[in-house]
Amino acid sequence: MNFAFTDDQLALAATVRDLLAAQGPGLLAERRGPAWARLAELGFFGLLVPAEHDGLGLRLADVVLALEETGRACLPGPVVETAVAAPFLLGGPELGKLATGALCVTLVQPGSGLAVDADVADLVVAWPRAAGRDAVRLTPHPGTDPGRRMFEASFDGEAVLLPGSAVPALRRATVATAAQLVGVARWLLDTSVAYAKVRTQFGRPIGAFQAVKHMLADVAVAVEFAAPLVYRAALAVDCSEATADRDVSGAKAAAGEAAVLAARTALQVHGAVGYTHELDLRHWLARAWSLAAAYGGTAEHRARVREAVAGVPRWP
Amino acid sequence: MDLDFTAAERDFRAEVRAWLAANVPRNLPSMNTPAGFQAHREWEARLADARLSVVSWPEEYGGRGASLVEWLIFEEEYWAAGAPGRVSQNGIFLLAPTLFAYGTEEQKAGFLPRMARAEDVWAQAWSEPEAGSDLAALTSRAVRTDGGWLLHGHKTWSSRAAHASHGFGLFRTSGEGRHRGLTYFLFPLRDVEVRPIAQLDGEPGFAELRFDGVFVPDSGVLGAPGEGWRIAMATTSSERGLTLRSPGRFLATADRLVELAAGADPALADRAARCWLDAEAYRLQTYAVARRIASGRDLGPAASLGKVFWSELDLRMHTLALELLGERAAATPWFDGFLFALAGPIYAGTNEIQRTIIAERVLGLPR
Ligand SMILES: Cc1cc2nc3c(=O)[nH]c(=O)nc-3n(C[C@H](O)[C@H](O)[C@H](O)COP(=O)(O)OP(=O)(O)OC[C@H]3O[C@@H](n4cnc5c(N)ncnc54)[C@H](O)[C@@H]3O)c2cc1C
Repeated sequence: MNFAFTDDQLALAATVRDLLAAQGPGLLAERRGPAWARLAELGFFGLLVPAEHDGLGLRLADVVLALEETGRACLPGPVVETAVAAPFLLGGPELGKLATGALCVTLVQPGSGLAVDADVADLVVAWPRAAGRDAVRLTPHPGTDPGRRMFEASFDGEAVLLPGSAVPALRRATVATAAQLVGVARWLLDTSVAYAKVRTQFGRPIGAFQAVKHMLADVAVAVEFAAPLVYRAALAVDCSEATADRDVSGAKAAAGEAAVLAARTALQVHGAVGYTHELDLRHWLARAWSLAAAYGGTAEHRARVREAVAGVPRWP
Repeated sequence: MDLDFTAAERDFRAEVRAWLAANVPRNLPSMNTPAGFQAHREWEARLADARLSVVSWPEEYGGRGASLVEWLIFEEEYWAAGAPGRVSQNGIFLLAPTLFAYGTEEQKAGFLPRMARAEDVWAQAWSEPEAGSDLAALTSRAVRTDGGWLLHGHKTWSSRAAHASHGFGLFRTSGEGRHRGLTYFLFPLRDVEVRPIAQLDGEPGFAELRFDGVFVPDSGVLGAPGEGWRIAMATTSSERGLTLRSPGRFLATADRLVELAAGADPALADRAARCWLDAEAYRLQTYAVARRIASGRDLGPAASLGKVFWSELDLRMHTLALELLGERAAATPWFDGFLFALAGPIYAGTNEIQRTIIAERVLGLPR
């Protein structure tokens, strides 16, 4: 029993965090921009690609903290689809390209039928079909998040059929999204705490008022107890445990709820200036909402947990 | 990172599970009645005979030197088996960690083995009528006398004190200020005037204590005189954190709640599933914390995160159970459990105080 990250896992997360922080606020505006290129140089998009295809062959638990960092940074673009889902959907030659970061992939969501950031992707997957972006007709669909644009994708042209099953990719993408939500929630909490220390009213920092303290404490509690469910789900998926689907749904429901609470609280703590385009805060608010709905929303996953726990004993 | 139990841990779980299956008594009367108190002490003695009453203590005091993870396993099995509440809890979970840290050899040898068998049952005597959340406002005092101290004052809400044999509490030994000049005393309740107080369920679960010059020898001082506050704060993190209310209890409740909600309206069953998931989250977070503690780090103010979480989870679970059971709830253990859960956000430092601690000492917001 060692439910703690290794030094390597922590170091990878710190590297991704530093790299993304060094991009500055410009990062928020560009889907598949310079930050994407820096991550590709680092080998980020090959982390889960098998070593024989020039990837690092890591497991989800090894990279879940690094994925959390992409949420903390509010990195735009189809990150989860390319770095996490694609290695479990595509075959040989594509895997090599994926590992170098040359191939950007998006996925038509099983629930909504929408594809995220399909306009910047090279390959669009609508399981079990896959086609180059030029062979797919894209129609923009209104979305909540400028860093995650949504599209209707019609496959009129040539498409290839993918082998195997979409389940391993979808499980991992769901956990990765939950990890990003935890990262988003952590950023929202840290930023709100920092603001509450410097914004003064009635001659005191607003963070000295108990109503503000207690709201932020509730966010800290929600994040503290959502994160371990996400890490546990990563392990369960890696080991194909019998409880994997239940654990994935539990992680997504808890992380989505924590991030939405963090967003609501962050806005309240910032007051009117939070409700504007003058602060970058809005990007993280939008990310909390859009990721909470991605790969199945909170209610849907909670219902899956309900079905999975009835009559089934806990681990171990 | 892994969540695998070692072979030794799995064997330990199997041993505990088998022993409990064969030995757990059913339907003991409330531990706050005279007969129930005796029955619960006898149960503690049987646990002690099997070296299961205080598994994490060193062997010389009646334990097994079990690791933190083994202790969490014990707790999971204990509550899953439907075993009785622990009449000795405030001694074994709150006082004992403090005795191990600050007690003399003589105090440890004199008190711990008897505590492990519930031969002595200890009550916590901290709160006073005018010192609840603001514990440092306490005014009970101890006056120096030949070979010891004379205790004066008024303590209240002392759990188990109606029937217990011993108390541990803080008294002022000098006027140096709120947190200074407090001393930690260990004393028999024999010479203390005890007035039992009925709780919401009608049973005298706690009591008021009046001290009118009760003599305590120097050997009844824990740590040095004047060090009481610092020593007491070491107990509070056990109280809020994983010793007093480990995940096992809430896992067992959540499992029973899911059974109770099976076939119910999906909206209610969804709430049960959420509780189930929260109990799992508490368990996983505790395994992570156990790892931090095993690598030498202190839990500190982060214990307050857990206290808010488990107490509010417990109340949500019992509230939902009552909704599911309707008017028939009072005939089931869920109703007693509900009354007990209602106290969770109050004792061990109210949840308002915990949220303030989280904000100031975990998040660093200004006082
Ligand atoms: C079942 C049970 C068992 C107990 N067992 C023991 C025991 O064995 N030994 C023992 O010593 N004590 C025990 N207690 C007492 C417990 O520790 C106190 O009840 C607790 O510390 C709160 O003190 P109080 O009841 O005086 O409430 P108060 O401090 O008067 O608080 C009343 C309300 O005001 C709020 N409040 C107070 N101060 C603040 C603040 N600064 N900011 C925001 N809100 C505030 C509180 O959160 C609470 O909601 C027990 C209590 C219960 C319910």
